[in-house]
Amino acid sequence: MRKFSKADDEAEVNMTPMLDIVFIMLIFFIVTATFVNEPGITVNIPEPNENSDPPPPDEEKRAIAFVIDNNNRITHDFRTIDISSVTSIIKRESVERPEAPVVIQSAEDGFAGNAIRIYDAAREIGIPESKIVWTRKK
Amino acid sequence: MREHSTQDEDTEVNMTPMLDIVFIMLIFFIVTAVFVKESGETVTKPEAATWRQLKQVSVLIAVTDNDTVHINREEVELTAIRTIVEKLHKENPKGLIAIQPDDEAKAGIVMKTYDAVRAAGVDRIAIATEKK
Repeated sequence: MRKFSKADDEAEVNMTPMLDIVFIMLIFFIVTATFVNEPGITVNIPEPNENSDPPPPDEEKRAIAFVIDNNNRITHDFRTIDISSVTSIIKRESVERPEAPVVIQSAEDGFAGNAIRIYDAAREIGIPESKIVWTRKK
Repeated sequence: MREHSTQDEDTEVNMTPMLDIVFIMLIFFIVTAVFVKESGETVTKPEAATWRQLKQVSVLIAVTDNDTVHINREEVELTAIRTIVEKLHKENPKGLIAIQPDDEAKAGIVMKTYDAVRAAGVDRIAIATEKK
């Protein structure tokens, strides 16, 4: 009777190999798990060949435009401005013309960082994302 | 004697709760495993105050200040971006593609990269920035 009971015990499925595999898989997935924490923003960049309509003559909707030239000078309304004054310019003009979009025109060799800073400034003020555009200088 | 022997068998460690946890961890790691294609190049990204945490990033594209574009640890030509991104995006169609521009990267190249990624049929594209 005692013998029989012991044999019965040993007939249990041996889990050890499966556990080995499960542990190895677990370790593999833990090691390969890369939790990418990438901060970022989404930007509006229109298609290059899109023949955008000429700016509406309507003064109310005239864009708040910033032009970054090849030497990284930022101009607004034909005046050269400093990056630090961008926020106040957008604030002032968006109060005057709440419908106006913000347009950033980058020359080919202008730094991307400057455009992103202006973009960020406009977003920080609360201009809706759809009304901020980063485009090429014509 | 018999009583004593069964007592001994019962004192074996009960593995079941641990196994449950291990299986749940395994499933969690399998489900969350996204094999991110790193760009393989460190760039000084511009800071942005309105940053958000980008979710489900699958491919990172670095644009350096030396006018080079790096995808998946390789330097690539501007003209080749589209095909490479198409291929990588197919592996994870729901993933987001993040462009990491250097602060002093040329805007023209960043925009061309953006256009190439868009031409590859990706609709979730973001610009990676630094937290401010």
